[in-house]
Formats: sequence, C-alpha cells, structure tokens
Amino acid sequence: MGNFLVWVIWLLAAAACVGTGLRVVTASNPFSSALSLIGNLASLAVLYLLASGEFVAAAQILVYAGAVMVMFLFVIAYLGGRADAPWAGGTRLIQTASVIAATALLSVVFVALMLNADGRLSDEAEVTRAFGSPAEMGRLFLTDHLLAFEITSIVLLVAAVGGVVLGMRSEDEALIDAGNGERA
Amino acid sequence: MNGPGIPWYLAISAILFSTGIAGVLLRRSPLIVLLSLEIMLNASNLAFVGFSRLFGQMDGQVFALAVMAVAAAEVCVGLGLIVAMARRNLDLDVDRMTELRG
Amino acid sequence: MVNGAWVCLLAPLAGFLAILLAGTRITRRQAGIVSTASVFVGFAGALVAFIDAWTRSPDDRTELTTAWTWLQAGQFKVGLELLIDPLSLVMMLVVTGVGGLIVLYSNGYMAGDDEERRYFAYMAFFVFAMLLLVQGGNLLLLLVGWGLVGLASYLLIGFHHERPSAVAAAKKAFVMNAIGDAVMALAFFLTISQVGSLDYGTVFAAVDDGGLSDTAVTLLALGLLGGAVAKSAQIPLHTWLPDAMEGPTPVSALIHAATMVTAGVYLICRTHPVFEAAPDVQHLAALLGLATLLVAGVIALVQWDIKRVIAYSTMSQIGYMFLGAGIGAYGFAMFHLVTHAFFKALLFLAAGLVIHRLDGEQDIRKMGGLRKSMPYTHATFLIGSLALVGIPIFAGFWSKDAILASALAYGGALGWVLYVGGLLGALLTGLYSFRLYYRVFHGEPAAEAHGAEHHGEGDRSMLVPVGVLAVGSTVVGFLAIPGVWEPFETWLEPVVEPLVTPSTTQEWATSAVAVALGALGILLARRAFLAGRELVPDGAVRTTLEHKLWFDELYHALFERPGQAVAALLRDRVETPVVQGGLDEVAGETLRGATLTSSLQSGLLRTYALAFTVAVGVLTLVFLVVR
Repeated sequence: MGNFLVWVIWLLAAAACVGTGLRVVTASNPFSSALSLIGNLASLAVLYLLASGEFVAAAQILVYAGAVMVMFLFVIAYLGGRADAPWAGGTRLIQTASVIAATALLSVVFVALMLNADGRLSDEAEVTRAFGSPAEMGRLFLTDHLLAFEITSIVLLVAAVGGVVLGMRSEDEALIDAGNGERA
Repeated sequence: MNGPGIPWYLAISAILFSTGIAGVLLRRSPLIVLLSLEIMLNASNLAFVGFSRLFGQMDGQVFALAVMAVAAAEVCVGLGLIVAMARRNLDLDVDRMTELRG
Repeated sequence: MVNGAWVCLLAPLAGFLAILLAGTRITRRQAGIVSTASVFVGFAGALVAFIDAWTRSPDDRTELTTAWTWLQAGQFKVGLELLIDPLSLVMMLVVTGVGGLIVLYSNGYMAGDDEERRYFAYMAFFVFAMLLLVQGGNLLLLLVGWGLVGLASYLLIGFHHERPSAVAAAKKAFVMNAIGDAVMALAFFLTISQVGSLDYGTVFAAVDDGGLSDTAVTLLALGLLGGAVAKSAQIPLHTWLPDAMEGPTPVSALIHAATMVTAGVYLICRTHPVFEAAPDVQHLAALLGLATLLVAGVIALVQWDIKRVIAYSTMSQIGYMFLGAGIGAYGFAMFHLVTHAFFKALLFLAAGLVIHRLDGEQDIRKMGGLRKSMPYTHATFLIGSLALVGIPIFAGFWSKDAILASALAYGGALGWVLYVGGLLGALLTGLYSFRLYYRVFHGEPAAEAHGAEHHGEGDRSMLVPVGVLAVGSTVVGFLAIPGVWEPFETWLEPVVEPLVTPSTTQEWATSAVAVALGALGILLARRAFLAGRELVPDGAVRTTLEHKLWFDELYHALFERPGQAVAALLRDRVETPVVQGGLDEVAGETLRGATLTSSLQSGLLRTYALAFTVAVGVLTLVFLVVR
C-alpha cells in the first residue's frame, strides 16, 4: 500500500513537473511562464522529499519559489506590456537545429539510462533518518565543503552589489524621469 | 527505497534539461530565456539529489544548495540587466543585442 | 715580415671602418686625414715587411700565413691566409705608396665637396680591397679582393651620383667586370672539382704534374684570362675604362691607372704556372695586349678630353704589360707596372691640377698656354709624358724597352709580330701624349679658357704628391739597367721565373729603335701642332676612331638590346601574371577567408548558445562512448 502511494505521488509530481516545465517554455505571456515555473519548483520539491532530501526541498520552496520567483514577478509587473515579445526568434534553420539539439541531448541521456550504466544505477544505498536533515547538511557545509560555503557567500555579495549598480540611475535618466514626472 | 528508482529521477531531470535548452535557444524575450535557464538549473539540482540518494551521501544535496544560491545570485543580476535595458527603452529582444558582432 | 703584412692589410680597413662609424661626427678634413694616415700606415707596414724580406736569403722570402680556416665543406678547405713573397711585396709597396700619395692629393683636390667623408671612406676601402687581392694566399681570397675592388670602383666612379653619366659609367664598369668575375668564378669551380683545393701551391702542382686534363687547364687559364681582361680593360672588355673617367681625377689616378687595372697583370704573373701549362692561352694574352696597345693608341689620337687621352694611354700601356706577361717576361711586365704606376698617376694628378685650376674644364681645345701660368704643373707633366714615351733617362724607357727586347728574344712569328707591333705602339705613344702636352701647355690660351688667376697652382697637399711622383718617374727606372744592375729582376726571380731573358745587346738595340720612334712621334706631334692641324685628318678613319671603333655600338646591339628584350618579355609573361598575380591571389584568398570566418561571429547570442549546446551534446556522447 505504501509503495503504491509513493508511486502515485511520484508520478503525479513528475507529470506536474514536466507539464509546467513545458508551459514555462511555451507560454507567450511571461506572467504565465513565471507562474508555471513556481508550479515546477513546487513539484520538484515534492520529488526531493520523496528522495529523502528534506532540507533541500524546504530550501527550494523558501528560497527559490519564495524569493527568486517573487523577484521575477516584481520585474514582470514593472515591465508590464513591454515584456511581451514575439514568440520565437532566429532563422528557420536555427530553430530546427535547436530542437534537434535538445532532442539529441535527451536521447543520449535516455540511452545511457536504458543501458542502466552497467547496473550501477540500481543499487541504492541504505539511509538513516539523519539523511537529508539540516543537521547533517550543516555539518557537511562547515567541514567538508567549507570553501564552497564561503565562496557562495561572496558570490551572493557580488550579486547584490551588482544588482544595486545595475539599478543605479545615470544623470540623464534622472532628468528624463524628472521630465516624465512633471508631465505625469 | 519505496517508489521509483533513481533512473526515473534522472529521466525527469533529462526531460527538464532538454526543455530548458529548447527554451533558451528558441525564445526571444530575455525574460523567458532566464526562466528557461532556471528550468535547466533545477533539472541539474534534481540529478544531484537523485545521485545523493543513490550513493547515500549528502554531498549531492550540499551542492544542490550551493547551486540554488548561485542561481539566486544570477537571477538577481540578470533581472537587473533586463530592468536597466527597459529603463533605457531598449527592445527586450535577444536578437537585437548584437554588440558581440565580430 | 708577416706582422708588417697584416698591418699593411688591416690599416686601411681600420681607416675605412673608422670613417664609416664616425659618420658626421668628424669633419671632412678629419676624414681625409684618417684616410691618408691609414694608407700611409699600411705603407709603413709594407716597408717593414719588405725590409725584413730583403735581409733574408733569396730562398727564404716566401711566407704563407693563415689566420683561421674560413670555409670548410667536406674535403674542400679555404683558409684566411696571406701569401707574402717578393711579388706581393712589390704590389703592396706600389698600392700603399702611390695610393697614399694620391689620397694625400685628394685632401686638396676634393676639399669643399659635400661628401668628402664618403669619398675618403671609399678610398681607404679600395686600398684594403686591393691589398687583399695581392696578399691573398689562395685563389678564393684573390677572388674576394677582385670583387671588392670592383665594388670600390663602382662606388667611386659613381661618386658624383647626381650625374646620370657618372651613374651609367659606374654601372657599365661594374657589369663588364662582373663578366670577368663570372668567368673566373666558373674557372674556380672547375678547379675545385678537379683539384679539390684553391690553394696556389696545390693548384700549381696539379697543373704541372699533368694531373689535370689539357682541357681543364686551358679552361682554367681562359677563365683567369677573362677576369684579367675585364679588370685591366683589354680588348674586348675595354669599353668601360674611358667612361670611368666620370669619377673624380684622383680616383682615375689610383684605380684606373696605378692599381686596379693592373691587377690583371698581377694575376697572370701570380698564376703563371697555369698559363705556362696552357701556352696557347698565354699567347692569346700577349696578342690581346698587342691589339689593345695599338687600338687604344690610335683612339687616343682623336680624343679631346684630357682624361680620356690619359685613360686610353693607360689601356695601351697595360697592353704592353699583357704582352710581356704573355711571352713570359713576368719580371719586366711587373717592372713596367711599377714605373707605369708612377708616371701614369703623375699624369693624372697633374691633369687634375690643370682641371682644378680651370674650374672643371677638361676639353683640351679650351686649354692652352698653361706653360707660363702653371710652371710646376708643366714641369711635372712634361716629366710624366717623357716617361710615358720612354725617353731616357725616365722610367718608362727602362721598362717598356725591356718588354720589347723580350719579344725580340722570344723569336718566332709571334715574337716578331709582337716586337714590330710594340715598336709601332711606341710611335703612337709619342704622337698622342705630346699632342696632349702641346695642346694644354703651349700655344695661346684659348678664348674660352676661363681659368681664374686668383688662386695659385694648387694646395700644397696636391703639389707635394705630384712632385714625389715626378721624382719617382725619373729614378724608379734605374732599378733595371740592362747588363749593369737589375735588382728588380733578381728580386722577383724566385717567384716568377721569366721564360725569356733578352741579351744585353738585344736590350740596347731595342731601346735605340724605340727611343728613335718615340722621338719621331714627338716631333710629328709638334709639327702638327705648330701647323695648327690634327694628326688624323677628318674622314672615315677619323670618324671610326672617334666612335672608338664602334665597340660600344656593337655591344649595344649584341647584348644590350636582346637583353632588354628578354627582360621585358619575362616581365610581361612571367613576373606580372605569375609572381605579382600569385601574390595578389594569396592576399585575396586570405581576405576572403577572413571575411568568411568573421561571418561566424554574427553577434546573435542565439547562435552562440546553439553552438554551446551542440558541443555539450558531443562531449556527453564522447564521454559515454569512451567510458
């Protein structure tokens, strides 16, 4: 019974994942795309849970769906109508080539999976309850992967500074805005 | 483990990845391109988590977390760019940005 | 002896390099002083070597010294070696001694010229090159010196490069000399392949003991003769010498009278074993000398340019030397070389004084009566002329007659032809040289003579060398008094043993006839001058002589026109389409390729991203397969 339930939930989540993923890429309205992405992230979180990655699932919802997507939505709202653009770009040749490339990549991986990588993909390890817990995650971050931890923090700092710099107004922009403000 | 084995996770990851690539290559609006990029990142995250479960070691999940942090940073900068472009009244069209022309 | 020789060789080179490197940092006067000093230092070195050799026994006077191995290719080795023996010592003394006097003279003559430094550098370079030629211990160094003197000659003839006639003359000289050089080089290649060496000793031994085939020896001798004929301006490669008078007068004196043009004679004497092994070629040399002697003599009778007359005279006198060498009278040929160096240089320098005084006038029709205004020059010129004609006691008397006597002693048909021809030449010499003398120094000054009376006869730096040469022209002859005292002959004997030795009777008899003919020539010239007419009346003969026997025209038709036609053909058929076209094609293709490649960088990010994806796909595949 339990296994069956797991399977059902897994399949539902996978379907949602793939579906929303396709929606993100194909929707013409960027707002729809963003919303689909939120759905995608949520279904991914479910998949993580099923793979005993509790902390990662939680972080996914909190950080990704909660913060990053909110940023996206803010920008889309700011852009308003300007965000709409013709759907596809590039010459016919490039479009065909792109589709073929993506399909090819997919097939390669599938073939590899089918060949089951010499059976190495079959033996799953036994895991304890501590697997996927925040404690374990924290321990790893602060011991084995301390460098990655520190560098990531620097990256975040740089990104924040970059965001501010990109958002700064230049002088003529201030004038334009002031002018707009007068007219408005 | 209950439920589908690791190959299934990897299959989903591959599908998502290809979808993301198709989106990056085909779409015209930089915003959508960024979203497609997010799809790709998440696909790789899924693969990480899957493998971590397979080998019973948490390093994969640790890395998935790092990827999430970097993705957040990248989105921040990317959106900043798009907003800056919009503020200068530039067309939000990837095909118009040809300054790299040789 | 060796050290003296090295000093002799390297001092002018050092002078040349010093002037070259100093550039405009030294004044023109200083350049002149450096050049003169370097040549005189060379003379000192030669003198030291000479004295050292003199004190030794006659058998011990040859030294071959090697500085280092210059070239090596398998079995073939060439060293940077000097050969010091009586023959080379004679040449060294003449080159540096007369050369030094002429460079000293140039200080005064070239004063005020814009490019004096270049001139003096070239003069020092020439002296070095000539010394290398005469001191070279093997045929290759001789060839190097040979080519370098040709270069120096080109540079100095074309010194006044703003004058197209000078440039053309320089080119002509160089090209004709190049023919000689090429012929000599071919002969040397043959030697290397047959003998395996270019050392004098080895080659002479191979030629003597019959190791080489007759053809090879004849070819080698012909090659050497070809080079000698070109360098010494003998028929048929003589047309460059009169044109070479475009160079400054001291250049004409040094290069085209005293030294370079006599290199051919030196060559024949030096390589005499080769010629003796190919007697036909040697006789050919004598006949060429005879032909030149006579032809040059008659052409000189109709020349109006003072320097041209002296140039043809040079050609003629070298003809005598070739005649002497051709019958094996090497010692006398060399002796005539030495005396000729003195009086010919004297004539040129004195002519230079006249030209300098008349502000560049060289046409003798515009001269006259300079006897009174230029007494010193008149006296020295007269001495030179008398020496040239062979009037006793002056130098030419002793040397020229010795050659003629050798011809008499040689006997046979050849000997008699040469003897009679040589005597005829003596008559001609008297005629043309005194025609010149009377025209320049006697009679009334021509109406166009615009010589300034404001400056004296010349700077002291010019007068002293002329004087020294005049003295030399008088006394040098005494080094060979037949039957009484012949130190010159004995000095050279160990190195160049003559094939003929005239008896004392023959020598004095010949002298009597030759002097008589010479005096006859002088008298005829005087009579013609006083009667106001030319020796050669107008007519077909005169026209032919004025056109120098049509040699220039012949060469133009035979070589120059076809050569230019071939060159034009090649230019149109080969150069333009193939070479130029080829280059253009390469450039065009490169440009097209670049344009094609740059179209890859479309600027479309999409394309770049596609490329990434494809690459990733390929890599994945590779990893999966290779795993």
